[in-house]
Amino acid sequence: MAVGPASLARPAPVAGRPFTLKRVLEREGVFSWLMLTPGVLFLLAFVAYPFFYGMVLSLQDRKVAQHGVFVGLANFALLTQDAVFWQVTRNTFVYTAVATALKMAGGLALALVMNQQFRGKNLARAFLLLPFIVPTVLSTVAWMWILDPTFSVINWTLVHTGLIRENFSWLGNATLAMVSIIGVNTWRGLPFYGITLLAGLQTISPDLYEAAAIDGASITQRFWHITMPLIKPVLIIVTMFSVIFTFSDFQLPFILTHGGPANATHLFATYAFEIGTTAGQLGMGAAVALAMLPALALLIVGLTLYLRRD
Amino acid sequence: MTTRREFLTVSLAATGAALAPQLAGAASKTTKAIGTVRESSFIKGFDDFFVKTLAPEYEKLTGIKVSYEPVSVGGMLTRLTTIAETKSGPEIAGVGLNWPHLFDRAMVDVSDVAGEVGKKLGGWHDLVQDVVVVNKKWKALPWGNIGQLEVYRTDWFKEAGVTKFPDNWEDLLAAGRILKKNGHPFGFEIGHGFGDNHGWMYPLFWSYGAREVDRDGKTVLIDSDETAKAVDFCRRFFKETMIEDVLGWTDVNNNKAYLGEQISCTNNASSILVVAKRDFPEIAKVTDHALNPQGPKGRYHILNAQSLALMAHAPDQVADKAFLRWLYDDKQLSRWLVSGDAYYAPFLGAYDNHPMWNAEPRYLPFKESLKTSRPHAWPGPIGQAASESVAKYVLVDMFAKACRGDSTKDVIATAATQLKQIYKAK
Repeated sequence: MAVGPASLARPAPVAGRPFTLKRVLEREGVFSWLMLTPGVLFLLAFVAYPFFYGMVLSLQDRKVAQHGVFVGLANFALLTQDAVFWQVTRNTFVYTAVATALKMAGGLALALVMNQQFRGKNLARAFLLLPFIVPTVLSTVAWMWILDPTFSVINWTLVHTGLIRENFSWLGNATLAMVSIIGVNTWRGLPFYGITLLAGLQTISPDLYEAAAIDGASITQRFWHITMPLIKPVLIIVTMFSVIFTFSDFQLPFILTHGGPANATHLFATYAFEIGTTAGQLGMGAAVALAMLPALALLIVGLTLYLRRD
Repeated sequence: MTTRREFLTVSLAATGAALAPQLAGAASKTTKAIGTVRESSFIKGFDDFFVKTLAPEYEKLTGIKVSYEPVSVGGMLTRLTTIAETKSGPEIAGVGLNWPHLFDRAMVDVSDVAGEVGKKLGGWHDLVQDVVVVNKKWKALPWGNIGQLEVYRTDWFKEAGVTKFPDNWEDLLAAGRILKKNGHPFGFEIGHGFGDNHGWMYPLFWSYGAREVDRDGKTVLIDSDETAKAVDFCRRFFKETMIEDVLGWTDVNNNKAYLGEQISCTNNASSILVVAKRDFPEIAKVTDHALNPQGPKGRYHILNAQSLALMAHAPDQVADKAFLRWLYDDKQLSRWLVSGDAYYAPFLGAYDNHPMWNAEPRYLPFKESLKTSRPHAWPGPIGQAASESVAKYVLVDMFAKACRGDSTKDVIATAATQLKQIYKAK
C-alpha cells in the first residue's frame, strides 16, 4: 500500500504525555512547594518578619513615633541594672517551671484516666477541652470573679467548710497572686497536655500490656517500663510547646494582675508591653521581649537533642 | 408657639447655611471622609451625640462623612502607637495624659485652631497647656479633664459620725478606722491599673511636699523627709482603713467593690456615680464626691486632659482642621459637653460657669479640682522619662511595698535608684 506524502510530513507523536498545567502540578516537587508556600509566606510575614524586626529594634534607642538610633547592646546593658527586670526574670522562671510541672503531672493523669473504658468517655473528652477552647480573655475575666476576695467561690467554700476564718486576698498578696496565676495557667493548659498525651497513649498496643501482665508486671511497672518510654517523645514535644507558651504568656497575667502587686506577677511579656507601649520605648521593650530568647533557645535545643539521642 | 426643639433646629439650619460655604471652601474638595478614634466614653450619651448628631450635622453641611472608632478604656495608648508607627488609620485621635509629648512628631501643629478657639471661648486654662503644648506648639485640642476624686457613701459616713467629708488625710484616716470597724472599709487602688492608682497616690505624695524629680528633670528629689512622711501615712492608711486586696487591684476593681457595697470610699472618676444612677439607684442616692484631702503642703489632684490631635499622616490636613474648628465652635462643643453629663471638665474660660455644671451638684467638685490638678511626675518635665516612671509604677510600687511591710527607707531607696536610672541623673 502506497503512503501518501501528507501522512509522511506529519511529525511523529512525542513519546510520553503532552505538556499541561495539570501535569506540572502533579509533579511531586511542584505540588509540595505549592502546598508549602501559603504556610511559608504566613510564617515569614507573621513570625519571621516581626522576630527580626524585634531584633533590630532591640539594638536601637527607638522611641515611639521617632527614628531609631543604633546603640548596639546598650539596651540589654541597661536592663542588667534594672531591679524590676531581674524580678521579672525570676517571676517568669518560677511561673513557667511550676505551671509546666503541674500541667505535665495533671495532663498525664488526665490522659491515663481518659484512656480507660468507661461510660460517657466521649463526653468527658469533649469537656476536657473546654478550658482550651474558651478564649483566654473570657475565661480569665471569669477567674477574676472567682478570685475576687468578696465574691470568690473559693473563699466562700473555704470559709463555709471551716478551713479558713478570713477571706484570702488571692490577687492582693504577692505570694498568693503568683499561686493564682500559676493555678489559672495550669487549668487552661491541662487539656493541651491531656489530649496530646492521650493521642500518644492510644498508639501503644494493648498486646504489650497483656504480655507484661502475663509476665507478672504490676501496674506501676507497666507504667514505668511500657507507657513512659513509649510516650516520651510526645511528652517532650508537648513540654517544649507548653514551656514556650507559658514563658511568653501575656493575656493571663495582664488581665488578672497587670503584673502587680508590686511587680510580683510581672512576666517578660507584660513588662515588655509596659516599657514598649506605656513608656513608648520600643527599643527597650523589644530588648525585654528578646531577653527570653536565650533561655527558650537552650531549652528547645536541649530537648531536641535529647529526643534525637533516643 | 415655637418649641425649643424647633428653635434649635431652625438655629442649626441657619448656622449651617451660613457656615457651609466657608467650611466647604476650607475643606479640600477631594475629601469625602474624616476618621476619628477615641477611647470610648463611660458616658454613652457623649459618644452617641458625636455619632448620631454631630457627625450627621457635619456631613449635611459639607458632604464629608465623619466616622468614629471607639477604643476600649485603657487601650487608646496602644491604638495610638499603632497609628503613629504605621502612619495609617484615623486622622484625628483622642489623647490623654502626656501623650502629645510622646507622639510630638506624629502630630500636626494645631496652634492656629487652638488660638482661635481660645480667643472665642474665654481663653484656655494655663495648666492644660503643660500637657498639650510641646515646644511652644499646640499638638492637641483639649475638650475636658477626667478628674479623680474621692467617692464615698454618705450614709455609712454619717453612721460613723462623719457628716462632712474630711478635709485632710489624717481626718480621713480617723474616719476610715471607724468605718472599717463598722464593716465598711476603704478601697483605694494600690495595684497596677492605669489610672485609679496614680489618681490618688501622686496627690497624696505631693500634698506632703514630696516630689519625684525637680523641674530640671535631672535632680531626683524622692529621697526626702517629705516622701518618708507620705509613705508612713500611706502604710497606716492602708492597714487601718483598707482590705489587703487593694494591693492587687486594677482599675475595674474599685468600681466593682464600691457598687458591690464592699467599700465605703475610693478615689475614682465620676463613673461610679454614673453607673450607680443607671443600675444601682439606691447606691446612687447615698453616693457623693469630694476633693482629695489636703496634706501638710496643700491639696492636689491628677490632671488627665482629654484632647483631640491631628495625626501627621492625615492626607488633607486643611479639611481636618476645618472639622476641628467646627467641632470646637461653641455651638457644637457646648452641646457635646452637656451630653457628657459633666464627666469632662472643660479648660475654657467661657465654660467655667457652663450650664452643664447645674444639672448635678455632686459633679461640681470635679470643676473645682481643676485648679489644683497637676500632670504625672510634676514638677518634672512630662516627656519620655515621666512615662517610663509611670510604666514602671515607681511611685505606686514604692507605696505598695511599704503597705505590704517593707521599711520606709528601703522602698524610698529603691524608688530613688529607679528614678535616677530613668532620668539619667546622678
